[in-house]
Amino acid sequence: MSSESEIAALIQRLALRDRAALAQLYNTVSPKLFGVCMRILRDRSDAEDALQEVFVKIWQRADRFSLAGTSPVGWMVAIARNHSIDKLRSRKPLGDSLDAAREIADTGRDPEAHTVLKSEGRRVDRCMGELEADRADAVRNAYVEGLSYQELAERYSVPLNTMRTWLRRSLLKLRECLDR
Amino acid sequence: MTSADDGERDGGDMNILAGEYVLGVLPLAERQRVEARLRDDRVLAAAVAGWERDLSALNAEYGEATPPASTLAKVEARLFAAASVSAGRSPFMSIWNSLLLWRSLAFASVAALIGYLALADISASPSANAPLVAQLSGDKEGSLTLLARYDASSGRLQLTPISAGPAAEHSLELWLVPGGENPAISLGVLPQTGEGAVEVPAQLRPRLGEGVTFAVSLEPLGGSPDGKPTGPVIAVGKAHQTF
Repeated sequence: MSSESEIAALIQRLALRDRAALAQLYNTVSPKLFGVCMRILRDRSDAEDALQEVFVKIWQRADRFSLAGTSPVGWMVAIARNHSIDKLRSRKPLGDSLDAAREIADTGRDPEAHTVLKSEGRRVDRCMGELEADRADAVRNAYVEGLSYQELAERYSVPLNTMRTWLRRSLLKLRECLDR
Repeated sequence: MTSADDGERDGGDMNILAGEYVLGVLPLAERQRVEARLRDDRVLAAAVAGWERDLSALNAEYGEATPPASTLAKVEARLFAAASVSAGRSPFMSIWNSLLLWRSLAFASVAALIGYLALADISASPSANAPLVAQLSGDKEGSLTLLARYDASSGRLQLTPISAGPAAEHSLELWLVPGGENPAISLGVLPQTGEGAVEVPAQLRPRLGEGVTFAVSLEPLGGSPDGKPTGPVIAVGKAHQTF
């Protein structure tokens, strides 16, 4: 993959409506962004549709890309995550309603099968380390897989409200740690 | 801590809501409420940006996956077809209109194909003898996939089908869409199979470069009656010389 500054330059060329830059950017980052869509949507055809939408949005929002914000890849991954999560939520509207609040007893799913982040000692990793292990795990899985509160509750075999409390407290602790 | 979801949050809760949004755990309706607020709530927007920045280290968990070869062409067709329509007035709008019409048919017809024309420029100079290789490919059953090879020294554009095209009651016509306000120029009718060679007229050869669009439309047998594309565009692709 090209360097961050090369990718940032491509995004800036998109803002100038440089069509050749779009193809170049696509070739550079589409595998990563498709990986994001696949992981969250878990369906190849949906992920392909999502990838199209994501590049349309990247083109349309290129003028709002700011070097001061996140990294250029991080900016595009955020677009891919948000779009994929929106699609996922609209695919399953009923099960995800907070108001529906169906309390799930123990489906007993084992929360093992996820990759452990290869920590590079970054701030977020240190702060995640301050959380209880299963709560950090829940935060990570929510982020990476786009799990809803309902799905997290099922996966960790806790009632929905408990999961909501867990996650909100975890976010509060994370925020405090990250701001330290 | 029970549900306090609907507009009752403020202060410290703002950071939690922003975090929930970035994590992605909220249901769709709440996500949309947050997105609507982000447009003019700068405090919330800053909180979201902060979470996105801080959690982006987790992006390392995403592996890479190879998307279908046709995806870029679909993106380009959507973006640049729309741009042409909004620019309006162009005499070759029909080609784009039929593309949009075709898109709205949602891949239902045998014409369900947007070609991807990737001009792999082997040499740095377009005038060199190294051939340009292009692929117009579709991803649906029964769609047309063509391999094009342009030899600049002879002006010959050779087309070879890789997969079968649409049914035989139409002709396939190849077009050069120069861009700007210029109308599409017919490069000739392809044989039914899509196999064949087109002798690019000398005056057109300098135009085969960056920024031109090629398209294949379905026309009545023998080709377009009026020299302009009339049928649905079943393959379209832009030429790039970027690599």
